[in-house]
Amino acid sequence: MMFNVSADGGSFSENLDDFDSIRSVLLYSDLEPEWLDDIQKNGELFYLELSDGEEEAALAQAAGQGVSTNHVRFSEETAEVITEQNNSKKKKKKKKNPQPCGSQGNGEPTLKRLARILRRKRRPSPQREGGGRDGDGKDGGKDASTSSPPASILKNQPGQRPGVTVPQQQQQLKEVCVYLNPKRLGGPSTPLSQGGGLLEALLGVVHRASWSRSREERLTVCGFVPNGPAAKCGQILIGDVLVAVDDVDVTSENIERVLSCIPGPTQVRLTLETAPQVGDASPGRRTKASSPPVSQLVRLLWGEDTAELQMSIGHVPHIAMFLSLKLDSASPQEEEEILYQYPASEASGQLKGVRGIFLTLCDMLENVTGGRILSSSLLLGKRLVHVGYWKEGGYLLVIGLPADRVPLLYLQTVVGDVVRTLKVMYGSLDKAFRDEDHAPRLDHFFCLFFQQLIQPLRLRDGASATAADVSGTLFLDGLPAVRWLTLPPEIKMEVETVLSDFESSDFGEMSEDFFGLRRLYLILGSCLFYKSYLIANHLPKEDLLDVCLYCQHYCLLPLASEQRVGQLVIWREVFPQQRANSSSTTPGYSLPEGRHFLLIVGLRHFMQCVLLEAGGCASPALGSTGPDCVYVDQVKATLLQLEVLEAGIEERLNAPPTPCLSCADWFLPAASSASPVFSKLAGAVKGSSSSRSRGRSLFGEKARRSSPQRSLADSGSDGQTDAGSGSFSSTAPGLSPHSTPDSARKLGGRRDSLGSGGSDGSGGSGGLFKIPRMKHPNPFYLGTLKKTLTEREAEEMYNTTKLTSGAENTLFHYVLMETVQGIFIAPTHREVAQLSGSIHPQLIRNFHHCCLSIRAAFQQSLPAKGRRPVDRPRGGGWGLGPVKEQGVLFQCKPENWTDQRKPAPTMTYWVIGRMLLEPVPQEFYVCFHDSVAEVPVEMAFRLSFGLAL
Amino acid sequence: MMMLQHGSTQLLCLTASSGVPLFTRGASKQLPFSVIGSLNGVHMFGAGQGVELSCCETEGGGKVVWRVFQDSVMLIAVSGGGRGGAGVGKAEELRLRRLLENAWSCMVLVLGQDELTDVRNVERLKRDLRSCFTLVDQLLEDRQEGILGNLTHCVDSLLPPDPTILQEAVDGFAQAAESEFGCLLVRGRVASATEKWWRLAPQEVVLLSALMRTLSASGSASCDYPVFLPKGSPTVAHRLLRFQLLPGADVCVLCGPTPSLHKAESRLVGAFWTPLAETLRGCLAIGEQCLPGSVSLRPDLLAVLLINRETRRSVSLVRPSTAHPLGDSPSKARCWELLRLFYVFSTTHYFTQEETSSASPEERPQRGHNEDFVLGFSHQPLQCYLVTDECKSFGLQTPQHQLFLLVPPSVPSFALRTLATQTLSDIVAATGF
Repeated sequence: MMFNVSADGGSFSENLDDFDSIRSVLLYSDLEPEWLDDIQKNGELFYLELSDGEEEAALAQAAGQGVSTNHVRFSEETAEVITEQNNSKKKKKKKKNPQPCGSQGNGEPTLKRLARILRRKRRPSPQREGGGRDGDGKDGGKDASTSSPPASILKNQPGQRPGVTVPQQQQQLKEVCVYLNPKRLGGPSTPLSQGGGLLEALLGVVHRASWSRSREERLTVCGFVPNGPAAKCGQILIGDVLVAVDDVDVTSENIERVLSCIPGPTQVRLTLETAPQVGDASPGRRTKASSPPVSQLVRLLWGEDTAELQMSIGHVPHIAMFLSLKLDSASPQEEEEILYQYPASEASGQLKGVRGIFLTLCDMLENVTGGRILSSSLLLGKRLVHVGYWKEGGYLLVIGLPADRVPLLYLQTVVGDVVRTLKVMYGSLDKAFRDEDHAPRLDHFFCLFFQQLIQPLRLRDGASATAADVSGTLFLDGLPAVRWLTLPPEIKMEVETVLSDFESSDFGEMSEDFFGLRRLYLILGSCLFYKSYLIANHLPKEDLLDVCLYCQHYCLLPLASEQRVGQLVIWREVFPQQRANSSSTTPGYSLPEGRHFLLIVGLRHFMQCVLLEAGGCASPALGSTGPDCVYVDQVKATLLQLEVLEAGIEERLNAPPTPCLSCADWFLPAASSASPVFSKLAGAVKGSSSSRSRGRSLFGEKARRSSPQRSLADSGSDGQTDAGSGSFSSTAPGLSPHSTPDSARKLGGRRDSLGSGGSDGSGGSGGLFKIPRMKHPNPFYLGTLKKTLTEREAEEMYNTTKLTSGAENTLFHYVLMETVQGIFIAPTHREVAQLSGSIHPQLIRNFHHCCLSIRAAFQQSLPAKGRRPVDRPRGGGWGLGPVKEQGVLFQCKPENWTDQRKPAPTMTYWVIGRMLLEPVPQEFYVCFHDSVAEVPVEMAFRLSFGLAL
Repeated sequence: MMMLQHGSTQLLCLTASSGVPLFTRGASKQLPFSVIGSLNGVHMFGAGQGVELSCCETEGGGKVVWRVFQDSVMLIAVSGGGRGGAGVGKAEELRLRRLLENAWSCMVLVLGQDELTDVRNVERLKRDLRSCFTLVDQLLEDRQEGILGNLTHCVDSLLPPDPTILQEAVDGFAQAAESEFGCLLVRGRVASATEKWWRLAPQEVVLLSALMRTLSASGSASCDYPVFLPKGSPTVAHRLLRFQLLPGADVCVLCGPTPSLHKAESRLVGAFWTPLAETLRGCLAIGEQCLPGSVSLRPDLLAVLLINRETRRSVSLVRPSTAHPLGDSPSKARCWELLRLFYVFSTTHYFTQEETSSASPEERPQRGHNEDFVLGFSHQPLQCYLVTDECKSFGLQTPQHQLFLLVPPSVPSFALRTLATQTLSDIVAATGF
């Protein structure tokens, strides 16, 4: 083994020995993998398990609420008895009472049965809940003998607490006290959602008005806002009717008025009429009344809770329809042309009602203008909806989205991506939609799709603040590229070696060679993600994009960036587009005709995607092939092996950004030090420093010290905590608790020269900042470097890592895409979070919004290929012609400028996009302060040096 | 095969209630009746279901835009594809929307609103509508060099070398003709007008200018033409008296029953305008530069469009290509085209469009569609530029002005901003525009 690159070489090879033993443990142990039961009939597997830390956190949170019955097992089956052997890393979990994968009778995806958290530790039989949906099927009978009949989750809240009565008769009244705080309405966590009003914002109750719009309507609880007062109290059930607030009768007509009368934080008494106890447990209503400790995203991935999420966007018009253009007129049936449709809400029903428009236009306009129809814009009431079309064969896919979510400029990209994802997953649209069995899976697919576009915040509650950046998500996901993280060369080499080792399929005693068998699968390549960043890729570009589209669609990348994934195993047949389409590009060589499988394994922050080929030179796959344990275990072993490098990668993530970034707020001349900007800034710093690993709080201290009054006022407490975190950083700089002591020592040692400066360096930076000619705190002028490096060296490093010209660093943000390799780089989430500020997040949002239009212009000037392979007629001489570069100058002002006497200070910055064709095709988007004129080509050139693969 | 040629636009007009075709203009070959019927049919079907179809895009930049005016007339604009390139989708949509608005205004201008909203005899309406074909055709062609008002809804103006003399003459002439609305057009652009004339809705002034151009193109020395003002008086007609002073220079007044055309022509025109013949010749000599000689523009400007956002006037010019010894600069016609496209691109993507102050409430949501993207910006866009193979374009927005420039590709990008601010201050300082 050749891991002796780093200074003390022993550690890695020792670790490797460890890992070889892990391999053998994995391979020889007769332990049955825990995902085995989740494999579906067709061989697909989607298994997601949260890490122990998450479970404990969830339990603790739940225990704090003291409502034990709110922990619903996310399992559709009956109880599983699970014990655990908890021995450090090689912990395995095994189900002793494995259920045969049930509920396939009604075609439900196995996703529903994946949940494994929220069980109480060492509690042999968690209570049996769930069920309900799979009444039929072969397993039903077997279960019936052992488990209680399926009951609605909603309704088995025991009335054990004083003051709560959940009567068994119909239409009983109950009283619930909740604590409301109108003052908190302005907070970012409770957006006054459109339509929901105070009922949703203040009380946390989702009520969906019926379409009839009768003026007085009973207030039926249709759902809860996560973490809202209603959800937290745990006593209000879905289906209840809110009758009175503090003895004032309420209806839909007066509820807003009544609630608006609540002046300040207070407790109010709600009178509720509970719905009938039995007979109302329709599957669609099966939602949980507890506040979810797990993010909605995970629950959605598990297949839980789609109804509530879908209901909360029921008023937003959106639809996906697959229509047949060839109608059999001999047997006219109602709605015969609709092969698939999602969702079934009222707003989408209206869109469904006018499908005749889509069909007619699609048919007619091609003859009129000579091009296929791309989009239509419709007005539903006051709401503008864009409808995107995709015609293929005799079928038409129609996707309607509200205009405020997806601008028309980018609709085509969104539709193109959906189509490509579907094709990767099912081979063709035809196969995807015309197979009846696929319907539940497609429902889940489109549920994810619409949720991500329409209410991304809801999905990622508790996640980073950048989630609010809808344009950013649209833009970055729409790029035909994957976010790349540049790594130090030695780590990079190790990662590559480990991946190559795996891809050689030399599994020793476990390989098929050993037994003289033909290989089951040929490993075409793999790619490795760490916390949503791609860190190594051995896949061809198009395959990488296919894999990435799948990961994006199922939100796997953000999932892995939080400390959430205990284990993720995904296996499915895929149809890589490049391989499917290229019939004979190179004469004399044709790609072998085989079937392809995608294996994704995630462990903590690492995620590896492997593309396998069966057929060709491996043995052909027949029927529906499930995941092979050996391959899964090998990937797992690879990931375990890579975990040693986690510390190094974390260090890279914690390193000061290269190139240096500036925060927009630094460029706004602060009128008074007590301006709202600064207090906000300090608050943001506090928040961010606790959320990220405590490696570097230098920025935080700097930002805090930049406001002299503040540091005078509370230097006592704040200063100490800062110093505390500083000293902590020098001892354990972002090490994961899982890494071995050896590597910890080594990395700690390596960082000593830098790290020791962590505490006294902060003092230095504070002093530095008092020098009056330094107008802005420059992130690169770290005290640590000042101490350890000579002035000249520091100056040199400063120059090499600064992208902009001129004396000061004026760079705010950038995105550089390498078209050939299909990757892009941008400042990491952590780098952005470190800059904090109040204007800066706005600026980044604006940057991304602008990039949408810039990129749309670039795409239209490119010869059509790639994402949408169509013969776009290129009318020379029309239009503006191919655009090479585009720039927009923006002006921003601080929010809430209250000072009437002085005009608000302003700051202007450029957002520039540049498309380069030479020497390598690149797209470069940059955002910088307007004080220095920049040549984007040069900046892209300088930046691309950091992108050597 | 396709029914509409690349780059051509067809305007369809039908009655909104019954779908009877009233007229079809534009494009050499008329769309078959079945297609017209279907285009109208889908919109009607949607309206019945509570869904209003607003526009459609096809590959290659083809567009269809629908709009119903006053619940009585349905206008549909269909443009063929073939216009590849940046920002075409949005730009084309704006162009077609403006076309529909202008076409409707034309019909009101000529026939009055009552006749259009209260249709008793469709055949008669069809016949009457023929009288606005010349005007509608002019809108459809929209290729008249130097006239951007149809798109910008700002009045194309010409800044004469000595504005005060002309101003006095126009004021005096209008007063003598018992009118408060008088205007002098030089080469199709407003050189001078009475104060009340500027108070008319910008859209009306643009339309009246267009009408004057068609009237003067007919070659008559004077005419008396009844007009309805689409915003000001859509139901009561006024008389538009137009007199040709010199070839390319026309004066007009909007007036009541008196004076008669003959009286005005014989007594007033000569009295007021004969002494100013030389001044008028001076204006005509400026030609399409629109700016007096006192303004010195940098030699490397290909084209300029300057809009005053308060007075809603615009000045536009394209330099004769002889000024650029380098052979790579685009032709004059292409420059106009590029300027037009860049204006639309900037306003649909970054800058706010000029609001028509008189926009009726029903029009507002329509306008809102175009700006949904612009409204998504959390910060205010001030300037923007585009670099293409043919030229570089720069746009700049201040509270009072919008300036759009084209320069040859050889000019470095970082110099654009200085060039633009300097040009703006030069023009404003010299003319007070």
